[in-house]
Amino acid sequence: MKVSFNELQSLSCKAFIGMGFSDGQATDAADMLCWMESYGLDGLKTLSAALLQYSLQHPYAPPESLYQDSDVTVLDANDASVLACSHLPLELAFAKARARGLSVLKIKRCRQRQLIMGYLARLASRGMNVTAFWRNSQLPLTEQVVGFRANSSVPSIRIYAVSEVPEENKENTGITVVMANHVDLLPTMRSDYEYDLLARHDELDLLNIRSQAQTLGINVDDALWDQLKAFAKLTLVASNVSSRSGAGPAD
Amino acid sequence: MTFDSGQPLPTVLRPPATVMDLNRLGSLTSSRLSFSRSLIRKMARQRWQIFQTRFELDEQGYGEVIYRVQTPYARYHVVIFSRALDDSQRSDRVIAEAWDLTFGLVEGDVEASLMTALAENVPLQEAGRQHPRLLVISRANRSVRNFSTFIDCLSNGQQPPAELLKTAGYLYRTTAVYGNGKFGIADYGRLKENPDFRHPFSAQMSAVYVLRQFSIDQVEHIARCRSSNATGLSEALRRYVGIGNSTGLGMAPFLINHPLLINQWIHMRETALLLAKQQVPDEVSQEQLLSLMDRGLQSLKEVAIENSEQATRNDEVIEQLGLVRVWLQQVPIEDDLWIQLTDWAEAALSLETQELINALLIELYPEHVDVLEDSMTTEETLELTPDMPLVQLKQLIETHLDWAINDAFDTVDGHYWFWYRSIEKEEPRLGIRGVDDGEEKELALAIGPRVKQIHAAINAHLSDAPKSLTIDFLMAHPRQVDIIRRIQTMASSAYGEIRANLWHRDMKPMHLLRAKLSFLGANRFDPRGDRWVRVTFFQGAPLLSELNAEPADLNAFDDWSFALSPENATEKSAAP
Repeated sequence: MKVSFNELQSLSCKAFIGMGFSDGQATDAADMLCWMESYGLDGLKTLSAALLQYSLQHPYAPPESLYQDSDVTVLDANDASVLACSHLPLELAFAKARARGLSVLKIKRCRQRQLIMGYLARLASRGMNVTAFWRNSQLPLTEQVVGFRANSSVPSIRIYAVSEVPEENKENTGITVVMANHVDLLPTMRSDYEYDLLARHDELDLLNIRSQAQTLGINVDDALWDQLKAFAKLTLVASNVSSRSGAGPAD
Repeated sequence: MTFDSGQPLPTVLRPPATVMDLNRLGSLTSSRLSFSRSLIRKMARQRWQIFQTRFELDEQGYGEVIYRVQTPYARYHVVIFSRALDDSQRSDRVIAEAWDLTFGLVEGDVEASLMTALAENVPLQEAGRQHPRLLVISRANRSVRNFSTFIDCLSNGQQPPAELLKTAGYLYRTTAVYGNGKFGIADYGRLKENPDFRHPFSAQMSAVYVLRQFSIDQVEHIARCRSSNATGLSEALRRYVGIGNSTGLGMAPFLINHPLLINQWIHMRETALLLAKQQVPDEVSQEQLLSLMDRGLQSLKEVAIENSEQATRNDEVIEQLGLVRVWLQQVPIEDDLWIQLTDWAEAALSLETQELINALLIELYPEHVDVLEDSMTTEETLELTPDMPLVQLKQLIETHLDWAINDAFDTVDGHYWFWYRSIEKEEPRLGIRGVDDGEEKELALAIGPRVKQIHAAINAHLSDAPKSLTIDFLMAHPRQVDIIRRIQTMASSAYGEIRANLWHRDMKPMHLLRAKLSFLGANRFDPRGDRWVRVTFFQGAPLLSELNAEPADLNAFDDWSFALSPENATEKSAAP
C-alpha cells in the first residue's frame, strides 16, 4: 500500500511508544525511519526484519559505558536497536566534537545499524561533519561507510566487499562514528586491498529519489503496516459510554 | 475615565505573560491576518477563477459535482460527493462514519481513473485509502432546519428568512478538514514550494470556500427540481450564507505539538497590532474605526448564540464596545489615541472586548499589516543543544518558564484531568485522574508539569555535578530528551508556550480550540459545553461570481469582516 510521510512518521512514532520507547525516543526513531525511507534506503525493510528477529526489546535501557574520555566514547548496547539506543550517545559525541574538534563514538553490539543514518543527517544539518563505518557481514566481508558534509542532510554512501579477509574476523555488530567540527569526512575509496564496490549513492541520486517519493508516496508492506498499527493501538484507551463523554457531550 | 496622553508610541510587542495566557487566547477573534481572509485577498489579487465543470445531481441533490480552481500557476479541482444520509447517522463527532457529503481538493485534472478512485475512497474518509494527488479531504453535514427551509421557500418562489442564518449561518458544517498526508493524501511538504498553497491551511480554506458555493448551488438545484416556480437565492442572502464547522478536542493537541508555528502566528499578529498602534490616527482612520465598530456591534447583536456563557460574553462586548464608540467620538484625535484606547481596554474591559478592539485596529492598516501574511509559516524542528551547560538550561527555565515552575501541579485540582487518545478514531479525550481508565497512557500535552519536574531534577543533578552539560544530564535521564529539546529551542521564541496548567480542573479546552479557530478565520463561536464548538467561516465573504468578475477595487473586495444580515448589509463600507 501507499502511505504519506506524515502517516509513516505518525504511525511509527505511536508504534514505538507502544513498544515502550519514551516520547522523545519514539519521535527520533520515527524520524530516522522516515529519513531512510525518503531516500529509498530501505528503512522499512530493515525495521520489518528487526521486528521479526529482535523484537526491539529493552528500548530504554541506556547503553552501558565501557570507556569514556574527552574525545572517545565506547558503549555496549547489548543488542539493542540503534533506533532505541543511539540518539543520546550521538548527541554526546556531537558535544565532544564541538568542544574538541573531533570525537569518536563506538557502539558495540547494536542492531539495524544502517538506520543510524537518519540521526546522522540531523547532526550534519547542525554543522557537523560525520562519518560512520560498520561491517555488514563477515563472509563475504562487506563494509559500509557513510559520510555527511556539515550542513548537508544528504550523505555519500559506499558499500563494498573486501576479498582478502583478515584472520581475525569474528562477528562485529558494532558501529563507529567519527565527527569533526571543521574537516570534511566524506568517503573516498582508496585501498591497497582488493575490493568490489557493491553500491554507491551520491547526493544527487538520493535527492532525486526523495523528490519522487514525496510525489508518489511510500510503498509499505501491508503486513508491516498492520504490525505497526497493532503496536500503536497499545497507546490507545478503550472506549465506553463514560469515556465518550470525555470528548464532550453528544451532539 | 482618565488616560495618560502624550506618551511615546510603543516599540515593543506585548509580553508573553499577557499574550499567552489561556483565557486571553480563548478570547481571540479572527483578524485580517486570519487564513480565510488572506486566502480571499490572494484569490482576488491573483485573479483566480473557480467554476463548475460537472454538476450531476439527482432531484434530491445526490450525486457528484466538480469545481475547477484555476490559479496563475496551476489547476485544481474540488470534487464533491453528496449521498443520502439517514438522520440517525448524522453526527458531528469525529467518530461518525457517514456524512451528508464528502469532498476533496485535487491537484491537477480529474481523469476518469482518478474519479473512480476518489468515488470509492473519499466518501469513506478515514476508512479509505486516499490518493496522493488529494491535497485536502473533508466531510460536512447539513444544518437540517436551514437546508429544508431554504428548499421549501425557494421552491415556492420565496426567499428564505434571513433569521435562520442568524442562528446557524450555514447550510452545511464541516466536521473535520484533513490535510498534510492524512490517510494517504499529499504531505504538507509538497505544498511548501507551491505558490498557491504554501500559506498554512490555505488548501483547506480553499476547499471549504468552494463548498460554500456548492451549498448554494445544491439548494437552488433541488428547489428547481421540486417546482417550476422556484426562484434562486437573492445576492444578499447568498453572501450571508457561510460554511459551518464543528470542532472538538481533536484540535487541542495541535496547539501544544506545534509550538514554533504557534509562536510564528502569534508573533505576526502581535507585530500587526504593534504596527497599528504606532500609526498616528487622523479623522479618516478614526471614522473607519467607528464604522468597523458599528459593523462589529451590529453583527454581534444579530447572531443568536445558544451557549449561555458565550452569549453573556457577547453581551458584555456589545455593552463595552458601545462605550468605546461613544468615547471615540468625543475625544480629540491625539497622536497616541490608539495607545490610549488599548491601555483603557486592557485596564477596564473584558478580554474579548480587548482582543476585538485589537483586531479592529489591525484592520485599519492593510498597507502595513498584509505583508505579514507571508510570514505565517516556519520550520518546525525542535533541536537539542547537548553542549549547553546545565546551569544555563536551568537559567533558561527560570527566565522563560517561570510560570511553570511556580505553578502547583500536586494539588487535587492541579492534576485533575489527564489527556489521552481513545481507540475510537484516536479521538483525544479528557479523563479524571484516579477515576477514569487510561492514565497510564496519558498524552504528554501538559508542558508545565514536565518543566517543573525537569527543573527539580536539574537542580538535584547540579548539586552533585555543577559543571555538567545538558547531555550529561540526559545520559542519566534519557526519557526527558523531548522536553529539554523543546525548552532549549523555544527559549528564543516568545509566544510558543501556552501559559496554563492543562491538568487543572478549571482549565477550559474551549480556549485552545478558539485560539486556533481564530487564526483560521472562524466567527460566531458557539460552544457546546467546554469541549466542542460550532463556528462559521466565510459568512459575508464575496461569492465566486464576484471573484470570477475580477474585482477592480481589491480593498472593497476584502472588506467582509463581521457579516451582516441582508437588511443591514448595505451599510457603508469600512474599507480604507
